[in-house]
Amino acid sequence: MSAELTGIGAAPGVAIGRPFVVEPPATEVPDPGPSGPPAAEKARLHAALVQAADELHAMAERMRAVAGEEAEIFEAHAAFATDPEVEDQAAPLIDAGRSAVAAVSAAFGAFRALLAASSSEYMAARAADLDDVCARVVGILSGVSRGYDLPEGRSVLLARELTPSQTAEIPRDRIAGVVTETGSPTSHAAILARTLGIPAVVGATGVLAVAAGASIVAVDGRTGEVHVEPDADVLAALTARAGQEEARRVALEAASHEPGRTADGVAVELVANVAGRDDLAAAVAAGAEGAGLVRTELLFQDRRTEPSVDEQAAYYGEVLAAFPGRRVVFRTLDVGADKPLPFVVREPEPNPALGVRGIRLSLRRPKLFEDQLRALVRAHRDRPGGGVTGVMFPLVSRVDEVVAARSELERVAGDEGVSLDGIEVGVMIEVPSAALAAGRIAPHVDFFSVGTNDLLQYLFAVDRLVAEVAELTDVCEPLVLDLIAHVVDNATAHGTWVGVCGETASDPEVAAALVGLGVRELSMVPGALGEVKDLLRRHDLASLTTVAEDARHAGDAAEARAILAKLA
Amino acid sequence: MRSQTVTLANPTGLHARPAKVFAQAVSASGHQVRLTKGDTTVNARSVLSVLTLDCHNGDQITIEVEGDDADGVLASLVSLVESGLGEGGAPS
Repeated sequence: MSAELTGIGAAPGVAIGRPFVVEPPATEVPDPGPSGPPAAEKARLHAALVQAADELHAMAERMRAVAGEEAEIFEAHAAFATDPEVEDQAAPLIDAGRSAVAAVSAAFGAFRALLAASSSEYMAARAADLDDVCARVVGILSGVSRGYDLPEGRSVLLARELTPSQTAEIPRDRIAGVVTETGSPTSHAAILARTLGIPAVVGATGVLAVAAGASIVAVDGRTGEVHVEPDADVLAALTARAGQEEARRVALEAASHEPGRTADGVAVELVANVAGRDDLAAAVAAGAEGAGLVRTELLFQDRRTEPSVDEQAAYYGEVLAAFPGRRVVFRTLDVGADKPLPFVVREPEPNPALGVRGIRLSLRRPKLFEDQLRALVRAHRDRPGGGVTGVMFPLVSRVDEVVAARSELERVAGDEGVSLDGIEVGVMIEVPSAALAAGRIAPHVDFFSVGTNDLLQYLFAVDRLVAEVAELTDVCEPLVLDLIAHVVDNATAHGTWVGVCGETASDPEVAAALVGLGVRELSMVPGALGEVKDLLRRHDLASLTTVAEDARHAGDAAEARAILAKLA
Repeated sequence: MRSQTVTLANPTGLHARPAKVFAQAVSASGHQVRLTKGDTTVNARSVLSVLTLDCHNGDQITIEVEGDDADGVLASLVSLVESGLGEGGAPS
């Protein structure tokens, strides 16, 4: 009998298949009794823990290429498996005649109880991680098959909850999709499903009771719909949607490694935002043509002393090595009084957003600035495979700041005997005064990168984190589009190219409109590259320009967005 | 035995990743090291034990090192904690 329920769409795509219920991983099995003397049993336990850690390291390695930071969960799991206290606590139990499997369950169980009792939600959530690891070790010791024992054809997995391991081990070719009773779109399992391209619905309360025995289940991971035994019409509609989604996925996959361009061949550099080492593999795997915004704050934060030139150069070199021959743009230190650095003692400010931050801080701390520029210049000099290295200054509000910052870069490069030929100098356009002064700043730089998040904040005097006023800003407000057009027109008149970084660049239709306004580089989270590339390739520049101009003449942001929606 | 009390400076405290960094450093030192928060003391080589201390940013923890060159090991562990346990010094 057909039924329908709605959960939360967690990973897009349509899946139709036979339901297959996945049980939570078994962290305990009936004690089989020891298979040998205590010494042999301890050796078996040790070998199983090592094997579990090896499997988890391998899984982290495999996931790192597609999931970046998310892969680290498995490194943490591996560290749990090899924790010496687990063996130490299991040993006396084995000596007392228990089997390795019973002893290890008890040892993990003791830690689990301590974590689960924590008042911190984070620590309590680690109890589930521990179960995941424990189940792996128990599986190894008891010889239970730990793979998915699937029926013929494609299945839709149903579970109360999937652990990170269960999600990462899903055989992509046999599993059409996943539905869980609990979980949120931000859970590890949901993030992994998205990065693996497995349609998923979470929070589908009651799905196990309704669908477990059904012959067919159809889910839409975009809308959150779950249809159990759908009738012919629903099935036909969903089958059509599945076909479209699959064609779209294949097109995106194919497009992601093609160079970014419009339908008529105008090149648009589609590059990634990078905040740390873990983003590099994900950016390359997603088809990034370089990096348009490499943040450098992580090198400086949460430490007592400033990083040395060598330490900085090593990190910058690592980022450059990920993109041989490509353009990589580093943003110099961008912090303010809201994130004080222990080695830059400053008075607290009543309004850090308007105080000494970004380039203002760098120009007031010459040694800090000089060291960073020196490290960037050395990393560029030593970079394997060549390519343009960009040095970009944040929070510029005046021409004289650009002149001072640039001349310091020239001095340091001269000092190091490195030519500025392969180094481009740029500024973030994120303060309205800099946007309005684009024509005055452009002669001093090679490029602009419009930081839409901060530009909107300063333009509308709206803190994006204050929900009550956040909706007063929208990049699609015609006046914002006018301002970006002003920046582009003044930049290109001086041969300065313009890129956009910030959340805006990852919204495909808005990104396409920016290209219509003359933007030629878009920097975004790696996951958004495919969709933006795909949309750009379906429109020629003239039509993008027409749509962008129409949006500029709209009455308001909603009207402008409706115009841009035609591009989809 | 040498000991020192430090304040956790990294943003997440002793979450899984920084706890792992700390436990691995203890392991590499080859020394017996204990970690205390409040009235609970654990073997600092065990990442799970360190996690169960439930330490957050701003918490004070005491590191105790046994054996030869306890001073040197203690100093390097203290400086590891002060540098942010991999959350600050090395971009993740």
